[in-house]
Amino acid sequence: MGQLSLKNVVKTFGQFEVVKGVSLDVAEGEFVVFVGPSGCGKSTLLRMIAGLEHTSSGDIVIDGKRVNDLPPVKRGIAMVFQSYALYPHMSVFENIAFPLRVERAPEAVIREKVTAAARILHLDQRLQQKPGQLSGGQRQRVAIGRAIVREPGIFLFDEPLSNLDAALRSDMRIELTRLHKQLGATMIYVTHDQIEAMTMADRIVVLNAGYIAQVGAPLELYHKPQNTFVAGFIGNPRMNFLPVTCTAATDAGAAIDWQGKAVTIPVDAPPDAVGKTLSLGIRPEHLLLTGGEMTLTVTPSVVEHLGQQTIAWASQGEGAAPFCTVLPGDQHVVADRPVTIGFNAADCHLFDENGQALERRFTPGSAAG
Amino acid sequence: MALFHDRNTPMIDRYRWWEVIAIYAGIFVFLFFLLAPFIEGFLVSLKPLAELFSTPYSFWPENGSFTAYVTMWERVPGFAWYVFNSFLISTVSTLIVLLLVVPAAYAFARFDFRGMGLVLGGFLAVSMFSGAVLLIPLFRLMRSLGMLNTYWAMIIPGAAFLIPSAIWLLRTYMMRIPNELNEAAWTDGASQFYTFRRVVLPIASPGIIVVAIVTFIGAYSQQFIFALTFNSKTEYMPLPIGLYAFFGKQDVVWNELMAAAFVGIAPAMVIIFFLQRYLVGGLTAGAVK
Repeated sequence: MGQLSLKNVVKTFGQFEVVKGVSLDVAEGEFVVFVGPSGCGKSTLLRMIAGLEHTSSGDIVIDGKRVNDLPPVKRGIAMVFQSYALYPHMSVFENIAFPLRVERAPEAVIREKVTAAARILHLDQRLQQKPGQLSGGQRQRVAIGRAIVREPGIFLFDEPLSNLDAALRSDMRIELTRLHKQLGATMIYVTHDQIEAMTMADRIVVLNAGYIAQVGAPLELYHKPQNTFVAGFIGNPRMNFLPVTCTAATDAGAAIDWQGKAVTIPVDAPPDAVGKTLSLGIRPEHLLLTGGEMTLTVTPSVVEHLGQQTIAWASQGEGAAPFCTVLPGDQHVVADRPVTIGFNAADCHLFDENGQALERRFTPGSAAG
Repeated sequence: MALFHDRNTPMIDRYRWWEVIAIYAGIFVFLFFLLAPFIEGFLVSLKPLAELFSTPYSFWPENGSFTAYVTMWERVPGFAWYVFNSFLISTVSTLIVLLLVVPAAYAFARFDFRGMGLVLGGFLAVSMFSGAVLLIPLFRLMRSLGMLNTYWAMIIPGAAFLIPSAIWLLRTYMMRIPNELNEAAWTDGASQFYTFRRVVLPIASPGIIVVAIVTFIGAYSQQFIFALTFNSKTEYMPLPIGLYAFFGKQDVVWNELMAAAFVGIAPAMVIIFFLQRYLVGGLTAGAVK
């Protein structure tokens, strides 16, 4: 129970195509996170899986059965809403019991299941209270409790933590991961927060303007983004992009011209890349104050000292994203004073003129930075 | 200055002494303007009839008493019956309105259907007509339905004229109930009707009570015109017509008429006071966010 397949799923609202052909297989028990900027279609996609939105074309298959025309309850899913959607006039007990009351379960079964769910979610002491008396985190747990009692094959979460404050959010992240292990159910989780995606997901689906930009394990997306969109979206602060010219494609990688010096970036370089302008991607956290095979002089206009790290933002001219440097610890970097920073070729990414990555020769766990 | 606020009064609620005087003076003028007819009516009910026609007219009763409140029952023995009729007509009208308006308002609030704007606009337009304009067609309608000289002749038109405004009022309230609650219930397998009964109705109850109060007052106050036109039987007369019984052949018994008017509205006041206790705010607290 809990295997999901999307086959070329499309959603249009009038003339406007929101989801433009998404195909995806989710294995049983997997924790999959849909992530993307607002308007990328991730919530719409989730609502289609839930059965709240009609699917314009394509198939949604759950456990081998096409469910496009089934109501939510017959799909074996349960959904947790961003706004919690608790019934304000009912006690916590009745809120959690609601799906069981709908299916007219015997009183004893209701009592047993609600109590069990409340124990998992630490709501035992709150069962007689109304949602209005609970804190945000407790309300969210009630909403999850309502999903648990149905024992669905697939849990759907629509940005469930976005209404919580930062401290509570990190607690709930851990709790959700624990819940996933405990229940072993498939979970599909929508968020725009990449930290939630990176920390909880078995696999992340990055969506961009209605398409899947990339699907992969969190660190795979971090180390081997397939295009500039994923490279920029995963990782915070964003990856820096610099235009470079490819001078040679060898077995060792792509040689680029860096301030008159040839540097080889270890990527799979096609021969026709030679002579073209490529984008060199380097993450802010891979920049060094001393050393590095390549160097660059920047003049930060804003320097943020967080204690744990120092972040310097240098303007790259009108309209361009600022060049960001993240240095560990408290570094002596002063705004409006030029500083030379270095980085290693092994940490670099290369993208062609279409924004597609030249695959990195990189084995996870071997990174220097 | 400290007379008008203490140290715990928030800064925004603090006023200077002359501001406080101006505010109270304003309240007094407003209330006096609003209540003057009622004050005068009440004072009239306390005066003996002879004093009402004395010159110079004295505003305050000189030897006021509640005698009129006793004698009114003797002069018009059916008065209690008229009050009951008024009460019955208003209550049944209100129940009919609620029965029709609650599902209608929900449909207008939650669903999007063809011709919805037109129907809503139509309701608004209809409620701009006063009953008086439509009396003649209504009379013919009542006659062909055989409803003249029955309670229904006063209940049905009364309810019909109250429905449009009630729909608008309750629709606005129901639109504030978050749609996520419907979606959540739907994903949990609840049918539309189950959701309506178990989720929407309880949350909408303060709105329904407001509509009930407004409708009851409306029904109480507008029955005069329908009762006058569609009913000629004494035993079905509601209060406003019943008051005419105090208009004698020679003169009007003003003091008893005023006393009767005050007694007549008392049951309605009791009902409204009872209903408004259920007007609790913040019923949607904790539903979303």
